[in-house]
Amino acid sequence: MVQKGSPIALGNESVWSLLLQYAIPSVIAMTAMSLYNITDSIFIGHGVGALAISGLAITFPLMNLSAAFGTLVGVGASALMSLRLGQKDYSTANKILGNVLVLNLIFGLAYTFVVLLFLDQILIFFGASSETLPYARDFMTIITLGNIVTHMYFGLNALMRATGNPKRSMYATIISVIINGMLAPLFIFGFKWGIRGAALATVIAQTSMLIWQFSYFRNKQNYIHFQKGSFRLKRKIVTDSMSIGLAPFLMNTAGSIIVIIINQNLIKHGGDLAVGAFGVINRVAALFAMVVFGLTQGMQPIAGYNFGAKQFDRVNTVMKLTVLLATAVMTVGFLISEIFPHAVASAFTTEEDLINIVVPGLRIVMIFFPIVGFQMVASTFFQSIGMAGKAIFMSLTRQVLFLLPCLLILPSIFGIKGVWYSMPSSDLLSSIIAAYLLVSQYRKSYVKQ
Amino acid sequence: MNKDYIITIGRQLGSGGRIIGEKVAAQLGIPFYDKELIQIAAQESGLGKEYFEQADEKKSYSIFGGLFGLRGTIAEEPFSTYYLNNETLFKIQSDVIRKLAEKGSSLFVGRCADYVLSGYPRCLNVFIFADMKDRIKRVADLQKITAEKAVDYIEKNDKKRAGYYNYFSNKVWGVAESYHLCINSSVLGIDETIDLIRLFASKRFEL
Repeated sequence: MVQKGSPIALGNESVWSLLLQYAIPSVIAMTAMSLYNITDSIFIGHGVGALAISGLAITFPLMNLSAAFGTLVGVGASALMSLRLGQKDYSTANKILGNVLVLNLIFGLAYTFVVLLFLDQILIFFGASSETLPYARDFMTIITLGNIVTHMYFGLNALMRATGNPKRSMYATIISVIINGMLAPLFIFGFKWGIRGAALATVIAQTSMLIWQFSYFRNKQNYIHFQKGSFRLKRKIVTDSMSIGLAPFLMNTAGSIIVIIINQNLIKHGGDLAVGAFGVINRVAALFAMVVFGLTQGMQPIAGYNFGAKQFDRVNTVMKLTVLLATAVMTVGFLISEIFPHAVASAFTTEEDLINIVVPGLRIVMIFFPIVGFQMVASTFFQSIGMAGKAIFMSLTRQVLFLLPCLLILPSIFGIKGVWYSMPSSDLLSSIIAAYLLVSQYRKSYVKQ
Repeated sequence: MNKDYIITIGRQLGSGGRIIGEKVAAQLGIPFYDKELIQIAAQESGLGKEYFEQADEKKSYSIFGGLFGLRGTIAEEPFSTYYLNNETLFKIQSDVIRKLAEKGSSLFVGRCADYVLSGYPRCLNVFIFADMKDRIKRVADLQKITAEKAVDYIEKNDKKRAGYYNYFSNKVWGVAESYHLCINSSVLGIDETIDLIRLFASKRFEL
């Protein structure tokens, strides 16, 4: 029997079928996440108003930061969990589960406390104006109160994956999106609870999934389940998890900081609606980027294994295939944005003022999108062959290293358009670097033969 | 009842651990696995030898090493999807250790074999260390370097090995509780240390 992930399969089966096998679950989960984000924005845009979208957009970095803290614990712990499970060390694995719960509780409570205490100041720093602050505050108060749920939900989802239940965690993600998709319109349009309704729907959706995860981990039949005594924090587990999780946490934080800077610039040069416009544009771009992200996750084991086994022709094949698919997806996004930007904007709002900012912005931001697919694949390639440093560097070039100077310089020259120009500039420059690094790596590996 | 047994040897660099392990295995007539594990792991998995060699007994995690950091806010795939990182290589290697242990009595040097085989009933975990001056002499002779360089090399190596062991196993490297028997090879010398280990093993396993 050839198991999924076994070397024999990776080294011999058709690259195309392997890619489908690995990529599809990833793509589904990623698409579900971005659909959740998009539908929330759409409901709020139509149900509450354009300013509400701006208020929502202000909160994005805050929500990202919260998820980042959850990741700090979750990613590291699930890596550790995989390690222990690989050695059939079930007692330690159980302790990891308990520790994750407690750590998430502690971080969650601390985060909730600090954020609620300084909520207004934080939101204003993030770019809220007197117009958008009430919306942002209403939304964020409820979300922050439910923050503990969010942390634990993401943390347990990660562990579910690590304990060999990727399907279950995928279902959890999809079902939470569906629940939110049903409750949000009910609360916003039916009960007229406004932006609070959206926040409530999210928290309820995550809570119900958390309950489901709890019931799974309480089942003593499973290898890994909640146990008395596993809740005492063990220093080794905590420090090991956090040192692994530190890197993704910092990457997330860097990403959030960039969004804050963007929003601050937009407020200065374009006002509240510009912030909302970026929120919309970001969601649209993310939809396609997340799909590509799922593809690159699927490519990882195939490229990594075959590179290690020196079957470079297969590495080539999977790379070409993934780049092709990624570029196709991104090109669809590009075409839709360039040809039908008005339709895209109208999906989120009916207010002309907002649409008129979104349309030109969307057109500019998505200009080099087709090549970003390549950039993402190249970055993941380096990660899959064990060169994490280069992979991180490449990711940073697109999200921070080129973006930051552009954001500091261009808006002062071009105003709001300067903010929009920064993104495709960053896309282009980072792709050039990616191409250079990829080609040099290929030369090195083939010459070695 | 299965009469097979396992001996694992953890060792400080320059303590003579490898030689001792080799001779104990030869005298007991059981297979000896040190760096040979790498060759076998490479063969079984199809991955190049150099990947195992790079990962060998070096902790993979500085703060920014071994990263899963590229994936946004969504938590991540289990290890099985990363073939060329140290965790997966370690898993492949430890699967090899387990397989070899099933085949019959064996002796393993390093690579957290004691942790990997902790479920194994008839297992003897030995840790071999030595006085610093003996370690320096051995390392300087073997590597053809000066005594000062040897001290440096030894300290770095101890850190690496401890990092590797502490990360992958659940125990602490070089600490008495992690093993059944800790011996300072400087006290009696290599040959008598071998005899002592054999004595302990024969009593433990009723050979």
